[in-house]
Amino acid sequence: MDAAKQPDTSSELVALSVKQVLDDGNTDTRIVVLKSDDAGVTLPIWVGSAEGNAIRLAMDHVVTPRPMSHDLIRSFADHLGVRIERVVITDVKSSTYYASIALASKGLHRTLDARPSDAIALALRAGCPIYATQDVLNRRTAVHLDAWINRLDTNNTETQQA
Amino acid sequence: MITQMRVKGLIFDPYNNAYIVVLRDEDNSDMLPIWVGKSEASAIGLALESVTAPRPMTHDLMRSFLDTFDAKIISVVITDLNDNTYFATIHLMYEDSEYTVDSRPSDAIALALRTSAPIFASEKVIKKQSSEELEQWLENLKPEDFGKLDT
Repeated sequence: MDAAKQPDTSSELVALSVKQVLDDGNTDTRIVVLKSDDAGVTLPIWVGSAEGNAIRLAMDHVVTPRPMSHDLIRSFADHLGVRIERVVITDVKSSTYYASIALASKGLHRTLDARPSDAIALALRAGCPIYATQDVLNRRTAVHLDAWINRLDTNNTETQQA
Repeated sequence: MITQMRVKGLIFDPYNNAYIVVLRDEDNSDMLPIWVGKSEASAIGLALESVTAPRPMTHDLMRSFLDTFDAKIISVVITDLNDNTYFATIHLMYEDSEYTVDSRPSDAIALALRTSAPIFASEKVIKKQSSEELEQWLENLKPEDFGKLDT
């Protein structure tokens, strides 16, 4: 097909799931590993340790004695009758990812700007889907990423066993 | 009975490797220290110093969530203290109804500072907190224990 006639797919959304949250060696950061549902695409996002832990707690279905910050947002939504519909990783600029949270209440639709870490922590608690735009996936740092993550994962496992 | 409190500051507690949010009432007769973790302290510290982060932090997101639906925070109340765990409630006004939401004090305070909502403490909490013991503890702090908050 003529390249010029190909449909523009950059704004199409790809559904992702959180596969794991890895420790990034010496720095106090975590890597949230998102994979597309057919596992063809991996999107790693670096987040702070507190944000990474918030995502881990939700992945492991840990119920803390007191509500954590994202439980509180979920609780606001429940009280106000607001539905958290989906979160989208919308953009990446100089290695900073941007996300949006789509909300609905009585036919009213609103979108909030958020960091991906907050968006993902909230999505896992609300049970809503996580998407990234095709454009973001095209522009991710893709070079040997899977091999790199596998190696990091192995290192992590070894550290935990030691 | 509830007493209005103000956030007087954040102190690093080197013995517990945590931060203390110090609340005081208007006439400085009661003091309420609340131990919080590093990220909670940083959420409060940013608001105390009116620092705007380049990207919305978690409590900025909370605020924009409430703003979007015209839900207003009327007040936050530190309600109870049990086994060194503090309890708080956030009082919301939304479409002419009032809602009370259970919260950790750190979230309640971080949100109150961002929405200029008043912070109260119940009499029960202030009584349980032996201020004598605290003041002694504070006196033992060295000057270098202050101002260690990374922002």
